[in-house]
Amino acid sequence: MTVPLYHVLILAATLFSLGLACVVAWRANVIMMLIGIEIMLNAVMLTFVGGSAQWGIADGQLFALMLMALTSAEVSLALAMVVYLHRRKRSVNTDDFDSMNG
Amino acid sequence: MKIYLSLMLLFPLFGAAISSLFGRKLPRRLVETIACAAVWGSFVCAFLAACTYRAPEKVTLGDWLSAFDLLAPLSLYLDPLSLSLAVMIGFVCGLIHVYSVFYMAKELDYARFFALLNLFVFAMLTLILAENLPLLYLGWEGVGFCSYLLIGFWYTDKRNADAGRKAFITTRVGDTALVIAVAWLFQLTGSLSITQLNGMAFLLPGGVITGIGLLLLVGAMGKSAQVPLMVWLPDAMAGPTPVSAMIHAATMVTAGVYLLARMFPLIGGSATVTAAVAVTGGVTAFYGASCALAQRDLKRVLAFSTISQIGYMMLGVGAGAITAATFHLLVHAFFKALLFLGAGCVISAMHHEQDIFKMGGLRRTLPLTFWCYLAGAACLAGLPFTGGFFSKDSILAALWLKGGGLYRGLYLLALLTALLTAFYSFRMVYLVFCGENGRPHVHAELKAMQWVLIPLALLGLFGGLLNLPDYLGGGFLNGFFARLSGGAAAEASHLEELALQGVASVLALAGLLAAHLRYGGKARAQRLKESALSSSALTMFLLNGWYFDRLYHAILIRPYQALSGVLWRRMDEGVIDDSLDRLAAGLGASGSWLGGWTTGRISVYIFSFAAGGALILGYLAWLTL
Repeated sequence: MTVPLYHVLILAATLFSLGLACVVAWRANVIMMLIGIEIMLNAVMLTFVGGSAQWGIADGQLFALMLMALTSAEVSLALAMVVYLHRRKRSVNTDDFDSMNG
Repeated sequence: MKIYLSLMLLFPLFGAAISSLFGRKLPRRLVETIACAAVWGSFVCAFLAACTYRAPEKVTLGDWLSAFDLLAPLSLYLDPLSLSLAVMIGFVCGLIHVYSVFYMAKELDYARFFALLNLFVFAMLTLILAENLPLLYLGWEGVGFCSYLLIGFWYTDKRNADAGRKAFITTRVGDTALVIAVAWLFQLTGSLSITQLNGMAFLLPGGVITGIGLLLLVGAMGKSAQVPLMVWLPDAMAGPTPVSAMIHAATMVTAGVYLLARMFPLIGGSATVTAAVAVTGGVTAFYGASCALAQRDLKRVLAFSTISQIGYMMLGVGAGAITAATFHLLVHAFFKALLFLGAGCVISAMHHEQDIFKMGGLRRTLPLTFWCYLAGAACLAGLPFTGGFFSKDSILAALWLKGGGLYRGLYLLALLTALLTAFYSFRMVYLVFCGENGRPHVHAELKAMQWVLIPLALLGLFGGLLNLPDYLGGGFLNGFFARLSGGAAAEASHLEELALQGVASVLALAGLLAAHLRYGGKARAQRLKESALSSSALTMFLLNGWYFDRLYHAILIRPYQALSGVLWRRMDEGVIDDSLDRLAAGLGASGSWLGGWTTGRISVYIFSFAAGGALILGYLAWLTL
């Protein structure tokens, strides 16, 4: 049994919205924002895989693999920066870091 | 001939170059010697050229402008007119240079002074020797430029610098007309050669010749200080006295007369032009003489007398008597240089006091200056048998012989002017040299300066020998200029000529007598007393040059200043600057307002980003549905 493409897309859109909601709402914690970003990225990956399965072309799966590598790199870098920020202000609340304003 | 002509020009040019480039490094004596030697060398060349002169000659030294059909090579033209002027300029300027060495003995900036004097001579010689109009114009502007720098020589005093600027700007009005005439001539004939243009006069329609002639006249008015462009000359007295002598006698102001005499074959065909020239000259002669009556400053008396005498030369040109005009130009150069250099001696002896009412008694303390000055004044007044008498009389005779109501009227005006001239000349002599109240300071330089006056006095007194009337054996200049177009003087019977000269000499003597009665002897003290009181309205009118300065101030300068003020404050500052300022301020304000949006809070950015993305998505969805 094959899953129709639009089911995959609906799932991906739901995931993306959840991730976005997490990023927008949970600003008190940088780590939670990063998790939201990961969720959004996974939604995108799901779309790629779904498309690849629909049309039988391997490009989408390739991109999914690329994204996995990219997200792991991104997360390691981002977490290092979170540690650094935490050392500076003893806080992970994003609103505390607002010195770059006009 | 080529070598003489080129050396005549190159000597002063090299002198100017050396003085201006190395003048400060060289010892003072050397700079002075080079400057004088350059001019005297130029004079020797002119003299040799005169000795070997046979017929009018054109010499091309090199190419200058040659673009398309515009041809203006560096070519010189030697004919009686330019030759006689070149000899005179070399001699008079040479004497003035020698005089300057002593007069400027205490001046520190001698290198600049002598460089400019030499350049002045070079420019004037270029002007008179030029064969084509662009080269003539080059000399014409060179003369104007040098006079500007020399009048404002002591430029640290603002009044002197202003006088220089006034001379420069006023003559510029005339120069513009000259340039228009030159361009017009080129457009009509395709040639700028003076000899060719003079030969082409009959090809051009009468109206065009009148137009060109009037434009040339305006050019000459500016340079020769004729009414209405004469206001700069009295102020030009701000320069050192030798410079005034040079401007008034040999260079600069005679250039206008020379231009009209040079182009006379072209413009003489139009009766309107000759009448306009004559009227300009007549009015100017009277104007200058009347103003000179009331002046108190010695140099301003002489300045107005120059305006008046140049007016006589213009009258001569207007009457078609080129010989008479040139004759007067030459003799005037001698006696006016003499008067100015004499005035320089007087002023130097009087501790730079220039008010003639505060002078006096110099007859005994400066006898040499007195006798020479007297000779100059006699020439200026036209006392019988001086050079000035014969030259002025030849102009008067030409006016009389020209006939017609206009010229007879101008003749009477010129006679009246001659009377005034004699009166103010001797008023000046009586006030400066007679009486007792002077305390002159006779120094070593002054003694040397006086000797320069002697050759000029002799030339002024015996200048008449250049062109004696027919009944005394005929003149040299008449024969010399006979082949020049417009040179042949109208023939008068001996009796008529004698009668005319009799009238002129009676008037000159009457002027002398009037001056003697009013300023001589005991009357002098009375006049001195009166001079301390306030003057009458007429005296003030004459003293201020008929208030021409004030008139120009009211009708030209003030509107110009008002216009400049409006353009400055309203246009430049109000419109251009203000609009740019406001644009910049508006951009800055909107920038800082937009800058307020950057709160630095990441959550706001993300929210805005998400909202924007949602809006775009919503729009796309709306498009597809």
